[in-house]
Amino acid sequence: MNFMLNSMILLSIVILTLPLMINLAFPHKTNHFPAYCKNAVKLAFLTSLPPLILFVYADTSHHTTWSHHTSINTLNLSMSFKLDHFSIIFIPIAFYVTWSILEFSLWYMHTDPKIHQFFKYLITFLLTMIILVSANNLFQLFIGWEGVGIMSFMLIGWWYGRSDANTAALQAVLYNRIGDIGFMLTMAWLMINNNSWDLQHIFMTNMNTLALLGLIIAATGKSAQFGLHPWLPSAMEGPTPVSALLHSSTMVVAGIFLLIRFHPMMENNNTALTTALCLGATTTLFTAMCAITQNDIKKIVAFSTSSQLGLMMVTIGLNQPHLAFLHICTHAFFKAMLFLCSGSIIHSLNNEQDIRKMGGLLHILPITSSALMTGSLALMGTPFLAGFYSKDSIIEAMNTSYINSWAMVMTLIATSLTAIYSLRIIYFALLNQPRFPPMSPINENNPNLTNPITRLALGSIFAAFILTMNIPPTSMVPMTMPPALKLTALIVTIIGLIIPMELNLLINKLPTTPMIHTDNFSNMLGYFTHLFHRMYPLANLQMGQHIATMLIDLNWYEKTGPKGQANLHNTTSSYITSTQKGLIKTYFLSFIITIPAIFAMIT
Amino acid sequence: MGAHLTRRYLGDAEVEPDPLHMPTFPPDYGFQGRKERVMVATQQEMNDAQLLLQQRDYCAHHLIQLLKCKRDSFPNFLACGHEKHIWDLCEHQDYVGRMKEFERERRLLARQKRRAESEASEPK
Repeated sequence: MNFMLNSMILLSIVILTLPLMINLAFPHKTNHFPAYCKNAVKLAFLTSLPPLILFVYADTSHHTTWSHHTSINTLNLSMSFKLDHFSIIFIPIAFYVTWSILEFSLWYMHTDPKIHQFFKYLITFLLTMIILVSANNLFQLFIGWEGVGIMSFMLIGWWYGRSDANTAALQAVLYNRIGDIGFMLTMAWLMINNNSWDLQHIFMTNMNTLALLGLIIAATGKSAQFGLHPWLPSAMEGPTPVSALLHSSTMVVAGIFLLIRFHPMMENNNTALTTALCLGATTTLFTAMCAITQNDIKKIVAFSTSSQLGLMMVTIGLNQPHLAFLHICTHAFFKAMLFLCSGSIIHSLNNEQDIRKMGGLLHILPITSSALMTGSLALMGTPFLAGFYSKDSIIEAMNTSYINSWAMVMTLIATSLTAIYSLRIIYFALLNQPRFPPMSPINENNPNLTNPITRLALGSIFAAFILTMNIPPTSMVPMTMPPALKLTALIVTIIGLIIPMELNLLINKLPTTPMIHTDNFSNMLGYFTHLFHRMYPLANLQMGQHIATMLIDLNWYEKTGPKGQANLHNTTSSYITSTQKGLIKTYFLSFIITIPAIFAMIT
Repeated sequence: MGAHLTRRYLGDAEVEPDPLHMPTFPPDYGFQGRKERVMVATQQEMNDAQLLLQQRDYCAHHLIQLLKCKRDSFPNFLACGHEKHIWDLCEHQDYVGRMKEFERERRLLARQKRRAESEASEPK
């Protein structure tokens, strides 16, 4: 039984490499290569299901270590896979979501001349993500970590002829690299103090606050927490399947996954937990505020992703890693579905992404509209859909915890804002009359479009229920609370639905105001990019210029160097020579004093 | 629930129990024949069930029964509702018991303060 679990998971990973190796050996032999990639991921998903069922039955974790290892002095590195609660549940979900996205890409990227390369990139990304998730040592995890970062760069910059896409790809890489500094700090600390990067060894010893803060910095970069978040909305320059796979379901949760992996070390360190809590609360509120005034449908969903990532970080700060993991799993389904629906709408409207130019799609795209509404309801935490089991549990845990009430209030406000921007998408994109020019007939006739969306919709509805019923009880969250606390999430969401609708009806009848400062703050993303992408580099470059020109060239080379010395001598000598009158014969008489003095000293 | 935090800051902090330093009064003060709580599940049983550290509380025996039921009824994940209810009820009663202990502590501290004030104000 153990053998079967290990073998099938490893087999599912090997199945992923088959399309890549075949394409390396026989490139461009067939036009069906994208379909082969999709089928390989589908097969990998089906292969990873029996291990999941076995894990649910037996509840045992496995570590597979390959004996071939590298030794650097006393540090041993080996390829080892940790197949525990987190990786065994996440791997099938990642395969399921990727299978749906690849099938969608067969329709979305159909006219792209480099579709083969696109699918290769997506498979490579998935492979590195699985390596990250199943790694049993930090070195292997780092390989996966960097791999997903590089694939993110390649895929965001897919349409590299567009300068915005290149900028966005660079932005992603640079922000991720800043986060990687924290990861490397932790790795260095562990190498010095633990002499091992194996998770089993690390969990037996103590990690100090510096190492844990390094991990939090890494998660800040990868999971777009406040301070290192601008790359995520910019990453929407990439194709929609890329946004659906990388920037909602899998890659961006890697930072949170890292913190979940290290939860045994974090649970005793209050500094790390408080940092995670406050950082997550700030992120979730700030990004939700930015989302409510965006007009690009993909940017709204991107900020929604960032807000949910903040919520996951809050959950880590509450010392509930299993709840955070459940939210990762449920979030993957409905967020990927929201992106696929956005892609369907964008493609149908001839690449129109502005929600102000959509409308009336409820009857034109029925499957997309139903899925969009289901996904939005799941995101809002509607009872008994996917988001409810995780989001409601998180808010209940927050309400019953002995925590910072400021973080709690910010998270509740962000939950309310979630309802606002979800309603905004539905209202502008699906309801009322069309605001786009009539073009070629819009339809959903292609099964490559409808099947993935339907599959993810089923996941959004049933996945969380099946997960919560089957996984063993892990986190001990108090279930007893007053009815008001129990219904907090629902009440806050309903308030978030009713108040904007009322405000909308009220404001429609008022004259337009020239500029509302809060609206401008939200629309300009809190002026964060304008400050940190312009002011900070400008200040650094100006300081560099001043150091080079004023300090070095002017000061050291001129004022205190040769020219300064020459000036000093010139000034001093001109001052002194002005005092002498030219009486040479009288000046020579001074020798009458000095020569006898010398003779007196000698004798 | 949660009012104790506000009372510590805005109300009288002296009569608010500190959850980190409880109990300050003897457990059987004011009771007759109060028995100490006993663990039903033994250490060996909990080790065999591989319970997590935070799951090893006074309701662990119900959790062990629930896990056994889950294992026996696999793949029917909708079964074991009765065992789950029993475990949840035990956890709920444990929570209510902790809240009652907190309230008892609070009232005893208030009574202690009242008695001290009345003794101090008595004419000598």
